[in-house]
Amino acid sequence: MSSRDNILGRIRTALKDDPPLERPAAPEVWPRENPPTEQMVGRFTQELEALAGEIHRCASMEDARAKLAELLSRLDQTTIGAIDHPLTRELAAELPADRIDWGASGADVPTMAGWAASVVPADCLLADTGTCMVACATTHERLMCYLTPVCVVIAQTDRLFEHLPAAWEELAGRIADPELRGEYVFISGPSRTADIEKILILGVHGPKRLVVLLVG
Amino acid sequence: MSDENPPLEGAAFLKDKTKGLYEPAGSKALGESAERSTKQNREIAAGIPQWERWRAAAGQIKAFAIANLDKLLVEFEKNITARGATVLYAENAEEANRHVLDIAREHGVRSVVKSKSMVTEEMELNHKLEAVGVRAVETDLGEYLVQLAGQRPTHIVTPALHLSAEDVGELFAEKLGEPFTAEHQKLTDIARRHLREEFVAADMGVSGVNFAIADTGTFCVVENEGNAGLSTSTPPIHVVLMGVEKVIPSIEHLPIFLNLLGRSGTGQKLTTYTHLFHGATPGKKLYIIIIDNGRTNALADPAARMSLFCIRCGACLNACPVYRRVGGWAYGWVYPGPIGSVLTPHLVGLDKAGTLPFASSLCGVCNEVCPVQIDIPHQLVHLRRRAVNEPSPMRSLRQRVIWQAWSWAMAGPKRYRMAMGMARLGVRMAKYWPWHFWELGAWTRGRELPKVPDRPAFRDWWRKNGSQLKPEKPQTPDEPSR
Repeated sequence: MSSRDNILGRIRTALKDDPPLERPAAPEVWPRENPPTEQMVGRFTQELEALAGEIHRCASMEDARAKLAELLSRLDQTTIGAIDHPLTRELAAELPADRIDWGASGADVPTMAGWAASVVPADCLLADTGTCMVACATTHERLMCYLTPVCVVIAQTDRLFEHLPAAWEELAGRIADPELRGEYVFISGPSRTADIEKILILGVHGPKRLVVLLVG
Repeated sequence: MSDENPPLEGAAFLKDKTKGLYEPAGSKALGESAERSTKQNREIAAGIPQWERWRAAAGQIKAFAIANLDKLLVEFEKNITARGATVLYAENAEEANRHVLDIAREHGVRSVVKSKSMVTEEMELNHKLEAVGVRAVETDLGEYLVQLAGQRPTHIVTPALHLSAEDVGELFAEKLGEPFTAEHQKLTDIARRHLREEFVAADMGVSGVNFAIADTGTFCVVENEGNAGLSTSTPPIHVVLMGVEKVIPSIEHLPIFLNLLGRSGTGQKLTTYTHLFHGATPGKKLYIIIIDNGRTNALADPAARMSLFCIRCGACLNACPVYRRVGGWAYGWVYPGPIGSVLTPHLVGLDKAGTLPFASSLCGVCNEVCPVQIDIPHQLVHLRRRAVNEPSPMRSLRQRVIWQAWSWAMAGPKRYRMAMGMARLGVRMAKYWPWHFWELGAWTRGRELPKVPDRPAFRDWWRKNGSQLKPEKPQTPDEPSR
């Protein structure tokens, strides 16, 4: 008998006399209020700023490009990394090609750790928690969320949801689809710790700054 | 393991009587911090009208998951295996360590970065890896600090709560050769710099699991620092240690747990990072080790099963008046506080941890704050009953005789009167007796005996005066009150 058989056998023996329980439906965590987009933008901004995140509302992608250029001009290092996605491609369209690494170079982790910033696209945004939900299936994509000192998230207002349950149908569908990869990182503010005397410090391991460029 | 760590034999403060009420330089800070956290938990709960409904719903999902554990584990295994993971089972910590060491050997691993995982504390994985020459580094800041100090975590969410900034500064000076500082930002930057080197050099990353989702083969890890993200994505191998009870039925059940866990654990609406892993990342190896290590003991005892609902938020620790006073180490093993007193006897056996269920005042606040409604007080009482009837440090013929005599004395008015008379006499005579004698000493050492009043006992007074007192005639609705 393998350990698997032994463990499952013990579980079955322990449960054999139990009456079957009805499978609980997914509970409604928060009621759906379907607030207008502007209200969600306001809430998202308030929540993200409370988490020490930064947000720039951009009327257009052109605006977002200008904001990114301004942001990058103040960083020490020149190279940035990015998750390869139509949204990030559009954002970085005017950056010199040698300034941005899309993951094809095969740069190793120490090299990536030296990059000034990363640019990642948010699949969804959650207004009530100030959360950016980033789909990232590859190592490069995941590292872009944690490795650089500044993480820039590009997002569109039409991807704002009032709360996690409202976004969940879409996410759950993607995660349940065997043809798709369902890895996600939900980011709510910059990396933080309060492990020393419960004093909050930002950027203990991951980005010290989280900047959201919200277009639309 | 450091010599400072108490041996695994249950609540040291019970074993050593009052001598054991200690926590290194931190009990005040720990107590205050725990109190603040509980206050915050209560405010959060009070601000969410559906909080109680959330707790009930989460408890029901966990109850369903535990009642279908075998099926859900197999479903999770099938789904995540289809996405490139290798699933291994371990009956105990020893077998789980063997799996990890085999994986390390097979891939020539020389260094490991670990994100916080209580199950790896159960396994004492770091020591096992180091014993075969593999460097293992904790990367959660609190865990890193206690590892550098050669200690055990004192709390399951904030492991280094007992260390002051000065302690950390001295620790970094001694172990890392850094100039002393007690500034929080500088201390954190030092840790970041040193741990970055570990992340980029590591051959293998180890993490735990907060929730394993059966119907999609997804697993979820939550954190705030980003170290779990880095530990699981920088090295080419990711090893996941997961207790059998971590599985939930469906991806649609996850949001309620994420909402509850952040709020109960750290007072956050969502933790800074929530990672959903969905099989092996392309080009990487993913191993999932599913561990029993005593959990099926709890499952086999229907009255104890609820303890497996725990989502490791630490809210019951913060709320517990005993934990606040004695801290985490006094519980003698990995899981402190009320949930530790319930879980540990199942995981290591009542013979080793039979005193732990007695480490509670049964005030019930742990049940009140538990986000999945674990009825910890009744679990404790159930384990107490087992501890005095099964092989355990609490099974004692002397205790049995004492309590049976007490039970007999309380069961009839004459016997009760006689017992009370003897108690009064005993208290009056106590000052002439050797103090703190026998097992009573554990109780009397920290207390002063009450003075016996000079007036007669109530029963004697009543016998003498009761007949003179006539009860007033009760009023009827027809009679106007005067």
